[in-house]
Amino acid sequence: MMKKKQWFAVGMSTMLFGSVLAGCGGEEKTAKNENKGETKEEQVEVTLAGWGGNPMEQKLLKQTLDEFEKKYPNIKVKHEVISDQYMDVIKTRLIGGEGPDVFYLDAFEAPAMIETGVLEPLDDYVTDDFDINDFEKPLLEAFKGPDGKIYGFPKDYSTLALFYNKKMFAEAGLDVPKTWDELREAAKKLTKGTEVYGFGVAPELARLYYIAESKGGKVVTDNKATFADPKVVEALQPIVDMRLKDKSAAQPNEVGAGWGGEMFGQQKAAMVIEGNWAIPFLQETFPNTEFGTAEVPTIDGKKGTMAYTVAYVMNKDSQKKEAAWKLISFLTGKEGMKIWTSKGFALPTRKSVAAELGYDKDELRAALVAGAPYATVWQNGTNLPIIMNNFNNQFVSAFLGEQPLAEALKKAQDIANKEIEAK
Amino acid sequence: MFSRKRWKEAGTAYTLLSPTLFVLLLFVIGPILFAIYLSFHKVQLLGGASFEFVGFDNFTRILDDTRAKIALWNTVKYVAIVVPTQTMLALVLAATLNAGLKGEKFFRIVYFLPTLTSSAVLTLIFMWMYNQNGLVNHVLQFFGLPTYNWLGDPSVALNAIMIMNIWSTAPFFMVIYLAALQDIPDSLYEAAELDGANAWHKFWYVTVPYLKPVTSFVVIMGLIGTFQLFDQSYIFSGGSGGPNNATLTVVLLIYQYAFKSLGTMGYAAALAFALAIVILLATWLQRKFSKEESLY
Repeated sequence: MMKKKQWFAVGMSTMLFGSVLAGCGGEEKTAKNENKGETKEEQVEVTLAGWGGNPMEQKLLKQTLDEFEKKYPNIKVKHEVISDQYMDVIKTRLIGGEGPDVFYLDAFEAPAMIETGVLEPLDDYVTDDFDINDFEKPLLEAFKGPDGKIYGFPKDYSTLALFYNKKMFAEAGLDVPKTWDELREAAKKLTKGTEVYGFGVAPELARLYYIAESKGGKVVTDNKATFADPKVVEALQPIVDMRLKDKSAAQPNEVGAGWGGEMFGQQKAAMVIEGNWAIPFLQETFPNTEFGTAEVPTIDGKKGTMAYTVAYVMNKDSQKKEAAWKLISFLTGKEGMKIWTSKGFALPTRKSVAAELGYDKDELRAALVAGAPYATVWQNGTNLPIIMNNFNNQFVSAFLGEQPLAEALKKAQDIANKEIEAK
Repeated sequence: MFSRKRWKEAGTAYTLLSPTLFVLLLFVIGPILFAIYLSFHKVQLLGGASFEFVGFDNFTRILDDTRAKIALWNTVKYVAIVVPTQTMLALVLAATLNAGLKGEKFFRIVYFLPTLTSSAVLTLIFMWMYNQNGLVNHVLQFFGLPTYNWLGDPSVALNAIMIMNIWSTAPFFMVIYLAALQDIPDSLYEAAELDGANAWHKFWYVTVPYLKPVTSFVVIMGLIGTFQLFDQSYIFSGGSGGPNNATLTVVLLIYQYAFKSLGTMGYAAALAFALAIVILLATWLQRKFSKEESLY
């Protein structure tokens, strides 16, 4: 082990150095490929990188790509799956000049990536046929740069919805909560000591952002953290109180679960707020847990939820931009998106596709689709990663009762802003 | 002085050394120099690499960085507990395994096994055992002791990593001690016995002083290894150093600045450089305090 650690220190710097070397090698390789291309026929190979999904999702993507290759026989797609530390790998490869032509980009990471200028603006490629107005507007906005250009087209999204255990609700004789106050009351009744908690909480900014802003406060203002605002504290206090005063809420690791979906599936929480990804997971892993979904309860009569979206973006240094665009436009076009979202693992970002597939009438997914128009997209400027990290750290400690929430958030805000200023 | 023969000899030597020298230059000395270079620059690698000279800005920034202070404090706490504990444990284990018990060889192998496990696998297995409903809590409950949320509670998360690391590293040093123990001449013990020493006296007045140079080595290696704690806390917290920065170590912070946030590679290099100095200081202090240096 000792040796390994020493190697890490060396490895860190070697990686840097190595990436420089890799950069030189990369250019040669692409040049060679081009020569080959000229001598043969106009066969192009486009690389597409993304993270892996469950086997079903992989199959769907394969199917979509097969369709694409059928339509454009001269373009071959090389699909690369980066299974872990996706952004680290992508950044390193882009630095080394070995970046894929087309890759996935989470909206959360988008502003910082757009700022560095490694992404190709896509406006000039768009044709009328592509029908850009068909996309859900907030999701498309997430990939607009400060220059107003579009750098990526969202491939799918998910919002959050309330997942509730039907059996527990029936036993307690409760209705599905419509407001946050109702949820709090229901959670109290559903809690059975430390065996079953009424409500499973993910104490993370990514999941709490819309709640934090529900009373008029702002988490981020002008790319700086402002979540110590009393209005934000007031909005988040009920969640902390649910754990500390009501003892009706817990985070997944308190009951030995890895995340909310697992906690809910193991029947250790009667309610959780999760996204589309939890539906296939629960159906496959916990077929005995009967559950329903509903829209996230309202706060002060206002609806709110989060939306997470991922886009296909193009590498600015790509040598095959025309082919890369053809791939993006097919994958995010009506035809490709319909295949990709046909099984409901992901929700379509195009209104026409959503209408055609009828998810707004699906028993489990209707609540998620209904959230799209009023959802807050999980993204806010280039400094959100720093802000998130500091928020999460201190919020957990307040959630566990180590310090008052207002104090925790003040501390987190100060540290975050100091870090931002030093940048 | 510099006869032709000597030149020729030196030439041959360097020719033979050249593959090693090349590798050293490329993979050890080069990167170190590059890291030092980076630490004086503001580096943006993505999107047309830019290096802007900023002098000591990256170093003064450390003084103002709350998370760096937390990371350093966590690391120091970790070192201060893990190094003495694992050293003592290794010594005791080695002494018992050298006492001539029956089935000694078997126990030597069993004790050494933890060291052979990859630290990533080890961490995952321990995380499983540390689970709220896991083995550790069940055992604690069985003995009527309080149970903990090892993974989620900021006040115990670092302790969980400490326990795991002591368990896995102590046997490695035990083997080193074991080798040294076999070296102690029996005559010393015989002489001690004649002077009326009991088992404890023999251990304390013969074994421990004789092992001093080895202890010095073990402590230095332990210091270096523990200061560089990364993989366990990375896996434990999923890279965040949470809950509430409890498992944030200096190397994990370096990693976060180097790869997670854009444009802070230079600052990360400065932190790495500062850590190297801290380790150097700690090692120097250790050597200063242990008088026996001749053998190491």
